[in-house]
Amino acid sequence: MRKRLNKIIHSHGFASFLASVASIGIGLIFGFVLLLCFKSSQSITGLGHLLFAGFSTPEKFAKVLYQAAPLIMTGLSVGFAFKTGLFNIGAVGQYIIGTFFALYAGIILQCPWWAAMLAAMLGGAIWGAIPGLCKAFFNVNEVITSIMFNWIGLFTVNLMIPNLPAILDKGVSNRTANLDATNASAIIPKWGLDKLLGSTYMNISILLSILIAVIIFIILNKTTFGYELKACGLNKNASIYAGISAKRNIVLSMVIAGGLSGLGGGIYYLSGTAQFTITKILPAMGFNGIPVALLAASNPVGTIFSALFISYIQVGGEAMQPEFAKEIVDIIIAVIIYLSAFSLLMKGLIMRILNWKRAKRLAAESEEVTK
Amino acid sequence: MSEYVVEMLNITKEFPGIKANDNISLQLKKGEVHALLGENGAGKSTLMSVLFGLYQPESGTIKKNDEIVKINNPNDANALKIGMVHQHFKLVEVFSVLDNIILGVEPNKLGVLDRKSARKKIVALSERYGLRVEPDARIEDISVGMQQRVEILKMLYRDNEILIFDEPTAVLTPQEIKELILIMRELTSEGKSILFITHKLNEIMEVANRCTVLRKGKCIGTVEVDHTSIEELSRMMVGRDIRFTIDKADVAPGEIVFKAENVTVASKIHKNNAVKNVSFEVRAGEIVCLAGIEGNGQSELIYALTGIEKMADGKLTLCGIDISRASIRSRSKLGISHIPEDRHKYGLVLDYSLAKNMVLERYWEPAFQKSGFIREFEVRKYADQLISQYDVRSGQGADTIVRSMSGGNQQKAILAREIDKNPNLLVAIQPTRGLDIGAIEYIHSQLIAQRDSGKAVLLVSLELDEVMNISDRILVMFEGEIVGEFDPKETTVEQIGLYMAGAKRNTPRTGSSDTSHTKKQDRRDEIS
Amino acid sequence: MIVFADIMSAAILFAIPLLIVALGGMFSERSGTINIALEGIMIIGALFSCLYLDSVAKSGWGEKHAQLAMLLAILVAGAAGIIYALLLAIASVSLKADQTIGGTALNMFAPAFAIVLSWAVQGQGQTTINIPTWIRITQETFGFHASAHPGFFEALVFKSLYLTTPIALIILGLTVFLIYKTKFGLRLRSCGEHPQAADSVGINVYKFRYIGVGISGMLGGIGGLAFTTAAGSGFQATVAGYGFFALAVMIFGNWKPMRIFGAALFFALFKVIGAYTGSLAFLPDFSGIKSADNIYQMLPYVVTMIVLIFTSGKSRAPKAEGIPYDKGTR
Repeated sequence: MRKRLNKIIHSHGFASFLASVASIGIGLIFGFVLLLCFKSSQSITGLGHLLFAGFSTPEKFAKVLYQAAPLIMTGLSVGFAFKTGLFNIGAVGQYIIGTFFALYAGIILQCPWWAAMLAAMLGGAIWGAIPGLCKAFFNVNEVITSIMFNWIGLFTVNLMIPNLPAILDKGVSNRTANLDATNASAIIPKWGLDKLLGSTYMNISILLSILIAVIIFIILNKTTFGYELKACGLNKNASIYAGISAKRNIVLSMVIAGGLSGLGGGIYYLSGTAQFTITKILPAMGFNGIPVALLAASNPVGTIFSALFISYIQVGGEAMQPEFAKEIVDIIIAVIIYLSAFSLLMKGLIMRILNWKRAKRLAAESEEVTK
Repeated sequence: MSEYVVEMLNITKEFPGIKANDNISLQLKKGEVHALLGENGAGKSTLMSVLFGLYQPESGTIKKNDEIVKINNPNDANALKIGMVHQHFKLVEVFSVLDNIILGVEPNKLGVLDRKSARKKIVALSERYGLRVEPDARIEDISVGMQQRVEILKMLYRDNEILIFDEPTAVLTPQEIKELILIMRELTSEGKSILFITHKLNEIMEVANRCTVLRKGKCIGTVEVDHTSIEELSRMMVGRDIRFTIDKADVAPGEIVFKAENVTVASKIHKNNAVKNVSFEVRAGEIVCLAGIEGNGQSELIYALTGIEKMADGKLTLCGIDISRASIRSRSKLGISHIPEDRHKYGLVLDYSLAKNMVLERYWEPAFQKSGFIREFEVRKYADQLISQYDVRSGQGADTIVRSMSGGNQQKAILAREIDKNPNLLVAIQPTRGLDIGAIEYIHSQLIAQRDSGKAVLLVSLELDEVMNISDRILVMFEGEIVGEFDPKETTVEQIGLYMAGAKRNTPRTGSSDTSHTKKQDRRDEIS
Repeated sequence: MIVFADIMSAAILFAIPLLIVALGGMFSERSGTINIALEGIMIIGALFSCLYLDSVAKSGWGEKHAQLAMLLAILVAGAAGIIYALLLAIASVSLKADQTIGGTALNMFAPAFAIVLSWAVQGQGQTTINIPTWIRITQETFGFHASAHPGFFEALVFKSLYLTTPIALIILGLTVFLIYKTKFGLRLRSCGEHPQAADSVGINVYKFRYIGVGISGMLGGIGGLAFTTAAGSGFQATVAGYGFFALAVMIFGNWKPMRIFGAALFFALFKVIGAYTGSLAFLPDFSGIKSADNIYQMLPYVVTMIVLIFTSGKSRAPKAEGIPYDKGTR
């Protein structure tokens, strides 16, 4: 047991974890300093809200879980693409299109929730395929394509919704209908969780997300497909040498990433408590997938935790109002991300501290190995 | 006043594990062309990099005009009027010739470029030394020969007096080589002193005054070119001491396993083809070695063979099957195993575990996956078996991240993986590069074991020791063609050295099947 | 005819921020660093310059010295941008981290910080920072009155003219000059194309990469102010994706200043054309479709994609961009 523990402590993974924890710690301290700057009298209460609001009532806790679900999905989306060497900044566009497909299936086609979810996945997958194909076959930078299609997606959906009167809420022209009224079967079931936690928000979406995260983990680490994708992301040359097709993998990877983001949109808007409103700005939920993925170092299981963490401090941020703007939470997250640029440095430092003696022993060993 | 303009005395330069320069002394006279000769890895580039300030020696001194100097970076070297033309040109492709020459020493009025005065100076230098260039042409549009002249003008523009050339003729056509030799003569007649690194003996005989020969980091000696011969230089370059002989069973080669016919591959660096109309075959139970100095087409030939690059022309046959257009994976499935020349770039995914790398070529087989899921137990078992069978040492066994393993063990892992595929043809490219004696010995014994068990082995090597000891047949490549075929039992290292250096060739140049007027030009080139 | 002048002047107005920021991105990438943080830099530049404008408006001094105030605001925007961009430079050049990490962090930080700061300065919930109207250059600025029926040129020039427009054109001219005609420009470009070659002739690659990112910060900041004035409703902690759009303009312009100018005009034209469907008969107005303005909103992005698909094959990015420079590698 001790040996196993030792092995974990000295591994790269543990050092990464510690580096992430350090980033989080420093980010929170920075946030606290901001609180002090703006209203020092309230800063301790503010910090208290930030750190503990998520656990304060079952309702708030339910909100944490409920908001974490779509975050997990967009985080998985960005992380999956990262693992295969691509930056999926188009997660928000895929999220929007997924939402639209889900609502169309639910409201207009009167599908049950699981069919609407599949529709969401399909929509996101299509939207993700586009940057993948453009990169693989036309050599267009996937970041620019994704960004363009984020906006094209937004405007497309803004165009479609007013022209599909069936999808609209009664009497308004810019909001989709209430699912309870139009097709209750499209709402994601609660399976009693709402009573358990005493909150109408709660449904099985968090369980679904966790399940999908585990599935993605299995795909990446246990299948030949995942093996190929990661190899491509780590060393394109060696992969080509081994006969792996780089083009095919780029497209497939983006399709999957897109599908995941699309699912995220479906999860959020099929909950029955949210209605999609036409906006002119890109929804933050889609973009927040990026910090979730970066914090989790693109590890699918880690994504569950980083999404929960970010959702948690976001609930805390809302509780800080009205004394403090909830945007302070975004600032904290941004600082944490920035610090991950130092992660290599921090990781190196941490590993050196932890492995002081072990490094010496290993060096002596490897000398013998080469003899 | 010393006759030597630059002296490098007792220079020792070490890298982890290797003594690249071991107590080397070299003296350059004013106005001479001094050649630095040696095989790959002899230490020539390192020595010149020390002179140019790119490396710092562990011990030794450098003197210029009798004064001891310290050269810490290229700027110091430049201040001492030492300039270098690198083997891989340091030119900005999208800039014009003029801009490349003035980069770093731009004539200007308050920051605004004064291209006019630069142009004047460049044109004057160009005419004075016979260095034909087009000042406004972009580097990516001009010939390699002109690119080199730009590099030379860079040095002259900075009033460099001591000019270092690193393998200048490696990428030039015969015509351009002739021009370069004339340029060098012109430069020295104007008082410049030239040091040039090369392995081409006939060029040394033609243009150098003296020659220093290095072998395995040590200085063998300095000779007057007028008083020596190609044979002597060759002997100094490759040496007589053969380190160890391996007992090889006498195996009669069997059927033809692999056949290459009229293979031509285009070059990525220059307009000439990298591989010109090459044909050869490898039989079961023999080790065929493609020998030659690096850069003569061996890499491109192997890329074509394994499927990484397309051939411009030619046919490849493996066990009777035409694989000229087959994908990399199908070639692998048909029985080609490949130990690549750059194990980090092509052979291993460094951030994967050892086990995962062991199945890099086989992960899709039913033995290792079921319905798309990796059978981890089987993979592990396989990796463990290979590790013990081939004695691959690592920190945590099959779980070790390959990046942390030593070079020798990484290579052993690749070897294990490729040999265990039980290929018909095993292609090994510089399999012992950068390894210590123990690992080298081991790899050699493995290659011979393969051959003894009836496999066909194609070896590409730059180490003449290795070539002589292991191969059954040696094909020497020079400038993209096979210029000679030898039985190691019936030839000498010196002979091979001559062919490697282009001083001799057996096969007449097989050009295109064109008609008479081009043939005449070929013939003239051949004679000169 | 006046309609045409209106369209042109609107297009120019929206092209200016694109132009300035794309030029900034060009400086950064030409020196070898991909700058994804332009969006965030724009917001920071706009934030501080608008706060400044608001404060001089309140004090009354601003109105009396309108264009001087605007000039100072531009300087504030530039300075804020440089400082903010240095954060990116530290992460990307000195720490050699993945250039997307620093960029993403800066893009997240900026709008959040803008909201928080606005609230702190203006009071709870007051996100919008109002921009005074006197910054607009009108005929009065030059001492004559607007005509009742302005001619083509008068309409073209004075419909919506701000100091940022001529400044942008000056920046364009300076950029062309600097990049191609000076020692500085030559060295900067060499760092982005072939840093080893630059290093071998004694150029400090790290220094030039810092300068490249710094300039992109300055121009990004000024571009943020230009965007906010063009958008017309005050600063609202966003630049609506213009930072990324500018990257597309830069790529479409093949990293060359004059081409970038053309690309910026091209896209701005598509952006404004939607508002003129009534006046221009040949533009389909999609009257049968609700929210048809979305079609026109989409247009610049769709056109961008089409163009990129066709031109990316031959596109010629600075060869060494995105690759952190390590002196050790040879």
